[in-house]
Amino acid sequence: MTARSLALTVNGRVRSLEDVPGSERLLDTIRWRLGLKGTKEGCRSGQCGACTVLVDGTSTLSCLTLSHEVEGSSLTTIEGMADDPVGRVVQDAFARAGALQCGYCTPGFVVALVGLLRERGQSARAEELLADLAGNLCRCTGYLSIARAVALLRAEGP
Amino acid sequence: MASFTLVAPSSVDAAIAELRTGAPGEVAVLAGGTDLLFALDGAKASPRRVVSLRRLPWRTLDWNGPSLTVGSTLPLRSLEQDPDLASRHPALLEAIRAVGSVPLRHRATLGGNLGRAAPSSDLIPVLLALDAEVDLVGPTGARTVPVDQFVLGSYRTALASGELIRSVRFPEPRPSAYLWQRVRPANDISQVAVAAAYSPSDGRWRLAVGGIPPRALRLPEAEACLRSSSPTEAEVRNAAERATGRPGIVTDRRASEEYRRYLVGTLLDRAVRSAVPSANGGR
Repeated sequence: MTARSLALTVNGRVRSLEDVPGSERLLDTIRWRLGLKGTKEGCRSGQCGACTVLVDGTSTLSCLTLSHEVEGSSLTTIEGMADDPVGRVVQDAFARAGALQCGYCTPGFVVALVGLLRERGQSARAEELLADLAGNLCRCTGYLSIARAVALLRAEGP
Repeated sequence: MASFTLVAPSSVDAAIAELRTGAPGEVAVLAGGTDLLFALDGAKASPRRVVSLRRLPWRTLDWNGPSLTVGSTLPLRSLEQDPDLASRHPALLEAIRAVGSVPLRHRATLGGNLGRAAPSSDLIPVLLALDAEVDLVGPTGARTVPVDQFVLGSYRTALASGELIRSVRFPEPRPSAYLWQRVRPANDISQVAVAAAYSPSDGRWRLAVGGIPPRALRLPEAEACLRSSSPTEAEVRNAAERATGRPGIVTDRRASEEYRRYLVGTLLDRAVRSAVPSANGGR
């Protein structure tokens, strides 16, 4: 087992982590080493989207990513969304649409949607955004209110 | 999950040397890692050492005349977003969009999908229909292998000891289509998938079926039924019937043989019709 130091920018702050094993997953680094519990562990096998974070601005499944593979990257988790203009708008739309029931999937949905809006900007239609969110599961099956949040976003920006 | 040592060599030669530090099964290659980490959790793989390709200069995409060369570690999402892919290789775009989800495709790679050679691969049937060529590098130099000679079986490839996939080349744009049937659109595996492509240079069709273990296959008997770029109703029907009746369509936990035969015929019929050049905007 090689254990090495790992530098990451996490929600805008530079963090230096020591003794991170090569086999450690980004999800575990975020939750247990950085203590950021907003990122959720769902299936741990890339099938539910609950653990989605932004790596250099693009949505990434933290359960299927080794931490050292994103060494030097800028990481944004749900905790960083309050400081992100797109993140604030998306969270506000989720709140106004009541787009959550138990809330477990919500951080993954919000982060994945922010990633899509950054990637596709104003041009993406609501139905395209929803199709590209198909990898995020809501076990409460509250999809209609999530679709309403996306419709609100499209009606009002960003 | 068992622990392993992760190494990220910064040159191709160093990566090849790393591959030879252990027996097969002890050393694993990591491109995007989405399938490897999934396999590690299911205890389908238990390497002692994992060789990451992230520092190799293979995250590339090059259009060169008619041919497209995709570096093996380019994220699928980057290929998906190439502005020319939809018009030149529509089947490849459809197949990429069938892989996992957007966040998964930000890391998953064409080289990784091909190197794993899962029977469920959405990309391999399209690679077969587009006559893709696989560029390899290894201890004795470089070589190029046609994709139908590269994928040998379920999780089996022609990669020799110490060899890596450097890139995948698509020789020419082809009117093409890729259609699948599965339970969920995202993060699921196709019960059956069909790729159809028409080659303007030799005037022949390529048809391939995927989603059926052990591996994706070309369908030469069905291809022979299609006699022009715009095959007749009868030709398409004959091709679908030939494909439906072919041996090797099996039952597993995803679908019965009977249902798969139905899907092969139906999807093949629709794939050929939607790939017909005129139906695709006269390319």
